[in-house]
Amino acid sequence: MIEFDHVTRTYGPKTAVADLTLAIPRGELFAMLGPNGAGKTTTIKMLVGLLRPSRGNVRVSGYDLVREPRNAHLHIGYVPDEPCLYDKLTGREFLWFIADMFGMPRHLASERIASEIEHFELGEFADDLAESYSLGMKQRLVFASSLLHDPDVLVLDEPMVGLDPRSVRIVKDLLKARTREGMTVFMSTHTLAMAEEMADRVGIMVRGQLRFLGTVDELRDQMALETTSLEQLYLELTSPRAAEPGRSGA
Amino acid sequence: MTPLPQSCRLLPHEAESRIFLRLRGRVAWATVRSMLSGARLRLSLVVLLSAMFWGSLYGLFFEAFTFLDSLHAEVISLLFNAFFSSLMVMLVFSTGILLYGGMYCSPEAKLLLTLPIREEAVFSHKFQEAVWFSSWGFILLGSPMLVAYGVVRDASWTYFALLLPFMVSFVVIPATLGGIFCMLMVAWMPRLRLHAMTVAGTAVGAGLIWMVWSSFSVSRADTMSAAWFEQTFARLSVTEQKLFPSWWLSSGLIEAARKDEGAAAGWPALAEALKFLALLIANGMLLQLVAGWLAARSYRLGYSQLTGEVPARRRRRISWIDQALVNAGTAAGRPLRLLVVKDLRLFRRDISQWSQFVIFFGLLGLYFLNVRSFNYNNTYASMIGFLNLAVVGLILSTFTTRFVFPMISLEGRRFWILGLLPVHRDHIVWSKFLFSFVGGLLPCCGLVLLSDVMLGLSQRTMVIHEIACLMLCLGLSGIAVGLGARMPDLREPSPSKIASGFGGTLSLVISSLFIMVIVVIAALPNHLFLISHAFGPPGGPQRGLLAWAAGPGGTIASMALVVAIGLVATFVPLFLGLRSFRELEP
Repeated sequence: MIEFDHVTRTYGPKTAVADLTLAIPRGELFAMLGPNGAGKTTTIKMLVGLLRPSRGNVRVSGYDLVREPRNAHLHIGYVPDEPCLYDKLTGREFLWFIADMFGMPRHLASERIASEIEHFELGEFADDLAESYSLGMKQRLVFASSLLHDPDVLVLDEPMVGLDPRSVRIVKDLLKARTREGMTVFMSTHTLAMAEEMADRVGIMVRGQLRFLGTVDELRDQMALETTSLEQLYLELTSPRAAEPGRSGA
Repeated sequence: MTPLPQSCRLLPHEAESRIFLRLRGRVAWATVRSMLSGARLRLSLVVLLSAMFWGSLYGLFFEAFTFLDSLHAEVISLLFNAFFSSLMVMLVFSTGILLYGGMYCSPEAKLLLTLPIREEAVFSHKFQEAVWFSSWGFILLGSPMLVAYGVVRDASWTYFALLLPFMVSFVVIPATLGGIFCMLMVAWMPRLRLHAMTVAGTAVGAGLIWMVWSSFSVSRADTMSAAWFEQTFARLSVTEQKLFPSWWLSSGLIEAARKDEGAAAGWPALAEALKFLALLIANGMLLQLVAGWLAARSYRLGYSQLTGEVPARRRRRISWIDQALVNAGTAAGRPLRLLVVKDLRLFRRDISQWSQFVIFFGLLGLYFLNVRSFNYNNTYASMIGFLNLAVVGLILSTFTTRFVFPMISLEGRRFWILGLLPVHRDHIVWSKFLFSFVGGLLPCCGLVLLSDVMLGLSQRTMVIHEIACLMLCLGLSGIAVGLGARMPDLREPSPSKIASGFGGTLSLVISSLFIMVIVVIAALPNHLFLISHAFGPPGGPQRGLLAWAAGPGGTIASMALVVAIGLVATFVPLFLGLRSFRELEP
């Protein structure tokens, strides 16, 4: 479903992502972890077509993001770290706008909009202008919009920011249900507990390089530490000492 | 490769355009509805003042065209060409800059580029938005001028019906060119774009300086003579190139307004006008095709290039001026001074602000330095002196509207910082006022003094001008800061959009009216005095209201009125702004 093929992205002299090769199959929930500035957001921007790789290819459902961005976007749902809405549109109007942009038939769009409004409990404010929404309300609306067209791949950049515990539960349940149905989820997060609870595999990026790729159990085995907490393992792997050559690798 | 999903599909061109049209319609309707429900008074005031502004401009142009109508028709053509060609250059720049912000730096662009739509559809959507923002000034200034021209020429209804199509089709051409330059620069010259902008800006600035310099660098004896007119026409004829859209526009409008003798004689002129309109539309459409083609190939590339740029890290040291300003005065005033220094620092580091400040006031200074080359008599010199005062005020008002008015709105976005500081909210408003007033006072009073010295005006007139200039600086700062605090737009991050919104427009209209009132009141006694001496009985009028108005009594009264109006214009908006800002809930 998602393929990064020897992808490198540079910002001037700085390499943000170095030779990333990664394949995420259908129905997997993948969590990308890493400290600030590790290259997670750059990876996500390449995955949704906002950035072009300096070298290599990114494909979603077989479509190259540079050569066939529109076809690829039909398969992608994207929840950015900062939700972007039109202040002067209501939540319902925004959902219609997105459904129209994806060329959804009217009856299907109407059905899906009603269902997502109910699912994300947006009914109370769906007909208010978005300028009056809190960050959590905006985030829920963006989640609803990203799922309208039933994408094969859902890309989430820090998805839990601004959500209250009830909304977090809704999102977690939804991700579990959708991945069971075959949707692939690529999630960047700093919430290690969520990654531990939800992810089939995790990737840990440090300074543009994928330092670890596998399950949390594999990480424990590889690190051969007494601790079993993901937090401790993560801190160990991303510490400046771990950056020394030969200490660990993907 | 996974087949395309059943639930969605790629849209044809027309469907994408329809969706964007619907989006804009909904956003516009929601904006109008919220204004009608929450700010009827404000809306009425803006409409009323805009109508007054339009009416005043119409009156001014009507008089000017009535005077020029007696001259050769070529004069009108030359003036139209000069006006529209300079407008064309400005539209290329302003639309290019607005498109740069809208297509590459806005959160909306980030959303749209992750949807399965064509890049050219996004360009077209952002282009229409940029054209609206860049050309409303042209419509506001151009429409009274062109309507006045039609009325003076006694043009038929077809001229008035064709005005809007002519203006819109003309605007599209420079605006599209601006868009094309913007996309080319971002996609293929990302590193050079700042240099390219600097070179282009310098070239335009140098061209303007050359035009101003060469227009006035003739000997005093030749001024206003036939030779002077010929030389000036020869210089301005640069704008009469037949390949310029500005020439097509002015020729089309002149043809449309032409009324030949005989019932059917108007038809050839109308056909000629329609030919020019068709030329404008065809070229606009062709350029739109080119821009769409370019957007399809370069937009994502450019966006990616720009997003991938790392801003250069530069160490900034605290300048001695900032340090001196912070340390000067009492400890109680320190928070206020710190806020002023912060604004001064932001101004210094924002090239778009200080470069415009330098260019406009620099050009004005250059013109004032050359104003001596005109051989004015006393009456004319005095009138030119007051007109120069008005011009200085008008330029200052564009700065206060464009840069000072949005300051409070932009501060509101950082309210979480300021709200936690031990600073009274009033200090924030007062700091903006001080920054604007002191920043405007030195160049404006300096320029007015320069103009007066070059015109050889009396000391009495100089004092009058300086007092009026002081009141203009106070009042314009008070209006911009007060209205900025009274009508903040805390959600809009772009200062240009804040300035071109309702509050900014209102600020500009009130500022312009204020300048007119101040200059007219200040000029009246002086003018009466000169007229009575020039045309009245020897020694001037002896008795009556005219004698009093033209004498020292009239001058003192007019100055008192100027000071009173200046203080009202300063403190009423400031008081309203302070009261509103104290209660502001971000």
